[in-house]
Amino acid sequence: MTAEAAAEPAPVRQRAAASALRPRVQPGRWLFSPVPLARIAVLRVVVYLFVPVDVLLTTTWVRAHAQVPGELYAPLRLGRVLPLPTPGPWVEALQVVLVAAALVAALAAARSRLTRVTGWLVAVLYLEWMVVAMSYGKVDHDRFAFLVALFVLPSVGCAALRSRERTEAAGWALSMIALAVVATYTLAAVAKIRYGGWGWVDGSTLTWAVLRRNTPLSEPLLDMPAVLHAAQYALVLMELAIAPLLLVRWREPRITWGLAGFFLGFHLMTFSMVTIIFLPHCIALLSLLPLEKLVPSAAPP
Amino acid sequence: MLTAAGRRGRALVTLVVAALVLWGTFLGEDDDFPFGPFKMYAGREDPDGLVLSTRVEAVDSGGRLRVVDETSTGLRRAEIEGQAQRLRASPELLGLLAAAHAALRPDEPPLVEVRVVERTYRLRDSRPTGEQSEIVLVSWRAP
Repeated sequence: MTAEAAAEPAPVRQRAAASALRPRVQPGRWLFSPVPLARIAVLRVVVYLFVPVDVLLTTTWVRAHAQVPGELYAPLRLGRVLPLPTPGPWVEALQVVLVAAALVAALAAARSRLTRVTGWLVAVLYLEWMVVAMSYGKVDHDRFAFLVALFVLPSVGCAALRSRERTEAAGWALSMIALAVVATYTLAAVAKIRYGGWGWVDGSTLTWAVLRRNTPLSEPLLDMPAVLHAAQYALVLMELAIAPLLLVRWREPRITWGLAGFFLGFHLMTFSMVTIIFLPHCIALLSLLPLEKLVPSAAPP
Repeated sequence: MLTAAGRRGRALVTLVVAALVLWGTFLGEDDDFPFGPFKMYAGREDPDGLVLSTRVEAVDSGGRLRVVDETSTGLRRAEIEGQAQRLRASPELLGLLAAAHAALRPDEPPLVEVRVVERTYRLRDSRPTGEQSEIVLVSWRAP
């Protein structure tokens, strides 16, 4: 506290404190708080370049659905309502088209041209790719924030990598991704209460997880049930209490670096224990970081 | 700066997405992807109960027993588990996995027998007791 602030009469200090808090409690101001266009541009390039990585390298099992006979296809509501075709050999063509569209979108993002049309094309194709992925009896929950990112990023329109401008449209897109990232954690805790009951934390879910998918790092934990039990409490605490901090604080770089680093570390640890990594979610998590600093001349004035 | 209409439209999108994902979390199911509940590891396992782990194994035309991984039939373990009831009701569907294997791995000998095996571990106080058993849930043999 400075000498001037200390000398201020109490009501003035209270008013100042109240106005400092106000942006955090006004949803409209929070939702549209301007952010640099350059961050959108960098994020687009990262997101669109991740699509080929995801589609060709890290989730290769989606393409394998092309060879699974249609009788084993159990379409999601989305696939029944639209109605989307039963996967078959055409899925291999979809893979090629999706990868090509993502590469074009990344190039368009880098040059700030045709960002809407190329971005939404990727979003729609990727959603269809997800229907092919999730329609065989198992739905994953690692891509909600990534899907939200794909659908909101084009809405910003043109955004040059070297832009110094901050806009509300960019702010809204990042707020949506932040909301989706946090929802993935916090609503996962709600789901644990819904399906596992209030006693979820005292169950053996992590023992079950490690028995089914152990690694040399996690196997010794089977003999230390107290550690896994404590980890269940820590997990729910993290999902319910720490994740929402991302919404309150993500515009403050130091805190954001700490929180994003914490969650990225959490996903790496999960991977080392049960070989499950929320990679698309981790990419969405990057949106909270000041990515615009990766482009030298785009540093804020 | 956004126009008033631009703000209203975006605020509406935010509300609709939030409403859908909240609805999905409390009332929806996996079927409602991408708005279904985030229920990975949401089930509670009993500290004195059983842990079930499923795998698919197969015998190829050379008589070799092999564990079938997700890239060789196109279905992941969790997908087989998700469809276990259907497979038990119609074991011939396992034959389709053999067909998928033939398409995905044309260089390998064809599968002539496919079975879904469930291994059970018993827990006491959240610790595996070492007691294990295995049963074949459903199997199919090439005609």
